[in-house]
Amino acid sequence: MQPRKIKTKVMSVLAPLASATIFLLLWQAASMIVSSQALPSPATVFKEAIRMFSIKIGGNSIWMHVFYSMRRVLIAYFWAGLLGLPLGMYMGWNRTFDKIVKPVFELLRPIPPIAWIPIAILWLGIGESPKIFICFVGSFVIFVLNSYIGMRYVDSLLIDAARAFGASKRQQLFNVAIPASLPSVFAGVQNALSTAWMCVLAAEMVGAREGVGFLILQGMDLNKPAMILVGMALIGLIGAILAVMLRLLEKGLCPWRKELV
Amino acid sequence: MHTAEKPAEHATSPPCVPGGKKLETVREDEAYIRRAARENWISVVSFLLFLLVWELVCRLGIIGPFQLVPPSQVTWVLLDKLVDPNPDGALLQEHILTSLVVALTGFSAAAVIGVPLGLLMGWYRPVNTLVRPLFDAVRPIPPIAWIPIAILWLGIGLWAKAFIIFLAAFVPCVINSFTGIRLTNPVLIRVARIYGASNWETFLKIGVPSSVAMVFTGLKLSLNAAWTTLVAAELLAASQGLGYMIQLGRRLSRPDIIIVGMLTIGFTGALMSLALTAIESRFASSRKLN
Repeated sequence: MQPRKIKTKVMSVLAPLASATIFLLLWQAASMIVSSQALPSPATVFKEAIRMFSIKIGGNSIWMHVFYSMRRVLIAYFWAGLLGLPLGMYMGWNRTFDKIVKPVFELLRPIPPIAWIPIAILWLGIGESPKIFICFVGSFVIFVLNSYIGMRYVDSLLIDAARAFGASKRQQLFNVAIPASLPSVFAGVQNALSTAWMCVLAAEMVGAREGVGFLILQGMDLNKPAMILVGMALIGLIGAILAVMLRLLEKGLCPWRKELV
Repeated sequence: MHTAEKPAEHATSPPCVPGGKKLETVREDEAYIRRAARENWISVVSFLLFLLVWELVCRLGIIGPFQLVPPSQVTWVLLDKLVDPNPDGALLQEHILTSLVVALTGFSAAAVIGVPLGLLMGWYRPVNTLVRPLFDAVRPIPPIAWIPIAILWLGIGLWAKAFIIFLAAFVPCVINSFTGIRLTNPVLIRVARIYGASNWETFLKIGVPSSVAMVFTGLKLSLNAAWTTLVAAELLAASQGLGYMIQLGRRLSRPDIIIVGMLTIGFTGALMSLALTAIESRFASSRKLN
């Protein structure tokens, strides 16, 4: 190996370590300057993390909170994908259908999913269903939009070629247009999950007795910043794991996507 | 070696290819547009039908008045809110103004700090290696998760909300500026260097202008994120603003107030993205003239 390459390799290991160390040091310094009540030191947060994993908070262990949030997200995500993907694709494929659905969709689209929380609570009470509904709204819109755009931007040359070779309308759709729209669809699949994850958080913070959103809100009510920070780290970690899992899935399902990036 | 990150695309914009150039809409040739325009009546009819069904569902008592109100009443309440501060203590335009001030404060701070940071990260490797791990550590945390700690730190005033919105808008600004400048055509860079431009000059004259499209995409995403996050922040802690208004509507079981609030939130958000698109197109056309 050339010395230059070795140097780059060493740097790529050292630099993140260095910046992590600097970050921790700054954090420590900041927590000593402002009161430790507002910003606990890294060590305190670490201890709090260990404590939180060993006790029950609000009657549930931390794993159960994660489980509750995940269950809401996944149920909503499943239904949003099941309904949203075909709807968006068909809107992109059939102009008349597009014209019919578009106005109502365009009216509802700019409303952030979080703005649905009050009416969802009014309609569905404060049980599981309003939270699932919020996540559903958030990911549904993204599923529809991305599959719609993916379909609209299919190269017409591909469809013309298929038609020239005598493909039926059905074959044009299923063998040409849908595969060609997959990269955009997959961008939506990833986006929808992270949006659903964000929505469940918001919904749980507005009113819930379990879930990760409840966890950090509990930290606020108890005036325990260390608890909030642990919760935030947990939320970030789960979000990152979800994103990585979907990226691996995408690599498996549509490997040609790489060319675009 | 860094790999160019997947650009975060605006939800309604066509897929991007390297170089930031947008793919042409192949299926939207002139004939298609003309034929589509002739069918606009379908949209009008379907929308009217939607309103009619909504009205009937409420009038016939299929859904009770504490769950949903008909569109005619929504219109009435909307007009009424412009002159009557009851029951939430402020006029609709006051709520809008409060929300706009908070959202734009956080958003502008994010744009002013995030865009240059992203550009520098994309151009200067040491900046990237230093900042990136920190950035990557913070990024997966949804901005909404910052709300409790922001309230603990900054109270429930303007600054806590502006801080949360700043965080929400910051991430897309950085990522898109980073990606935009990374996609600068290397030929242009080499030409500038051959003609004796310094690295800093190349950055300013070649790198920054060529990343404008991606930066604007980032700004639009940021604005979206800012607006969404604002609603969340106002739901949890506020005494005025659109999020507060719909939350109060829920407490009072007033679906009319909630629906007016939701529509206003959606409409204002859409209007802001339109404004940004208009700025973008002016920016782009003035650049072409040069």
